[in-house]
Amino acid sequence: MSRHTQKDLPSTMTTCETARSSQEERQIHFQTIRYIFIAGEKLSMTALTTATAAHLYHRVFRECKCSDFDPYLIAATCIYIGSKVEEDHKKLRDVINVCYRTLHSDKPPLDIGSTYWSLRESVVQCELFVMRLLCFKVVLTHPHKYLLHYLMSLNNWLHPDTVTEVPYAKTAWAILKDSYHGNICLHYPANWIAVAVLYMALRCHDISVPYNEEAEYCWWEAFVEDLKLADIHKIINEIIDVYELENTI
Amino acid sequence: MDYERKKNLREPEQTNEAADSEVSTHEQGSIEVFKARDKETKRYVALKKVLMENEKEGFPITALREIKILQLLKYENVVNLLEICRTKATPYNRFKSTFYLVFEFCEHDLAGLLSNVNVKFSLGEIKKVMQQLLNGLFFIHYNKILHRDMKAANILITKSGCLKLADFGLARAFSANKGQATRYTNRVVTLWYRPPELLLGERNYGPPIDLWGAGCIMAEMWTRSPIMQGSTEQHQLNLISQLCGSITPEVWPGVQNLELFNKLDLPKGQKRKVKERLKPYVRCQYALDLLDKLLTLNPNQRLDADAALNHDFFWMDPPPADLEKMLSHHTTSMFEFLAPPRRRGMQPHPQQQRPPVQQQNPDQHYDRVF
Repeated sequence: MSRHTQKDLPSTMTTCETARSSQEERQIHFQTIRYIFIAGEKLSMTALTTATAAHLYHRVFRECKCSDFDPYLIAATCIYIGSKVEEDHKKLRDVINVCYRTLHSDKPPLDIGSTYWSLRESVVQCELFVMRLLCFKVVLTHPHKYLLHYLMSLNNWLHPDTVTEVPYAKTAWAILKDSYHGNICLHYPANWIAVAVLYMALRCHDISVPYNEEAEYCWWEAFVEDLKLADIHKIINEIIDVYELENTI
Repeated sequence: MDYERKKNLREPEQTNEAADSEVSTHEQGSIEVFKARDKETKRYVALKKVLMENEKEGFPITALREIKILQLLKYENVVNLLEICRTKATPYNRFKSTFYLVFEFCEHDLAGLLSNVNVKFSLGEIKKVMQQLLNGLFFIHYNKILHRDMKAANILITKSGCLKLADFGLARAFSANKGQATRYTNRVVTLWYRPPELLLGERNYGPPIDLWGAGCIMAEMWTRSPIMQGSTEQHQLNLISQLCGSITPEVWPGVQNLELFNKLDLPKGQKRKVKERLKPYVRCQYALDLLDKLLTLNPNQRLDADAALNHDFFWMDPPPADLEKMLSHHTTSMFEFLAPPRRRGMQPHPQQQRPPVQQQNPDQHYDRVF
């Protein structure tokens, strides 16, 4: 019997976690994440479950070389694990059918036959692989709960007209969702990402937080004490990179 | 890390009939736990097998829940999950490896200790057991986890006297959101320790279900065998009514709305006799008072772990006393499955509950595990 450390797993690891993935790999992952979101939508998964699936997917490819695994198999598996982790249960059969349909929209739906059964077996095996790879640490902290909390606080602080007329909250949620197309979630704490997303949404709508100029602390420091503006900019730049990546596809 | 397997720690046992109806119901297998030794550090561990047979939906959700919960709960009174390991996939197992949860090894379980007449707990030691048990419950409830299988066999005690809540196989997270009703399965908790609200079909329950079990276990510290050994749900409710009085809307407002309140035959006109019936066993008046408050029918009035810990029982003389000295007289592991039956009288064996325990060793000092 052997312990699940990352060292006894296939020699596919890139040891350096900060190694920037190549442009080509980033494009592949961008498309796979989009596929996770489409399949997630069809499976009526919650935003959190989809975020978990995407985050797990990025963690797998932080450890593994892109060329060694089929990203779509890993993605389908992450969807399935995400649904279990978040108690948002989806049947394996549904996951397979929906993922197949999403990937092959030009083909007829999957019949129950050898293809179906081998896909099923692949996901079941891949699930165990991913679990071991991640040392069974599959519970994640997402920026969502922080963002919700920050938005609630801000709603009470901003001018009521701004709150009702400017869809900055919607923008923030959209940016957060889009950010998963890159692996930003791996590099920054969840509460930092939430602040950055909110900062970016406010900038998009040209909203300034009342009395921020006169205050001793910046508004985000009320949420996250040790967060510097430079860090926020760094995160926002990474988010902008993701949007720019989209243009190259 | 490599482990060599030493000994079965628990005979393959029927688990509770409990099956989480919210998800798939695969967990009705048997639990297998082994004692093993780390080949490198020579440290003893307990291996709990993850049952994968008939698992059409991949890695069992119940095992995943248990892992998630145990990774979250790191506390001295909760069993410590060290890691997860697996056997190598070989042609012999058709390339299907078996997964094991690796726990720190605890020498005894409370049911095993209580079934051994040579193990005597002083009042201070009983206080220490209950204090640690309630500390554990306080911690898990604070972290929004329900244990859902409180019973003496799931309370482990190390040889140095540290108590650990174990077996989170039925545990789950709960939300304290009072606004919306939840629909958890009520097919949880071993029958003898199952609180009245579950027996009456409540699905929107919370931490009080574990406190009822704590009350049953506390009484058992003196009676040395489970206090209410029902054979069916109906029988269990009869026993509860005989001890705690009739279940009526007067003592428990709202009970009439529970699904099974009108479907089951609830004994009427029974007086509450918790203190009276336990008095022959329990001489401490504070203990009787705490028992009375834990074995409260109405879950909303039952003490929570925090209030129970503040009860006079723990703060009056004698103070809680360490168990290490007493346990040092007992060098043999005591687990429930190794012990002779503790049941009083000849009651029908509850279906799917306790394993049929065989009388293996009348001499408790016989070295069975090593």
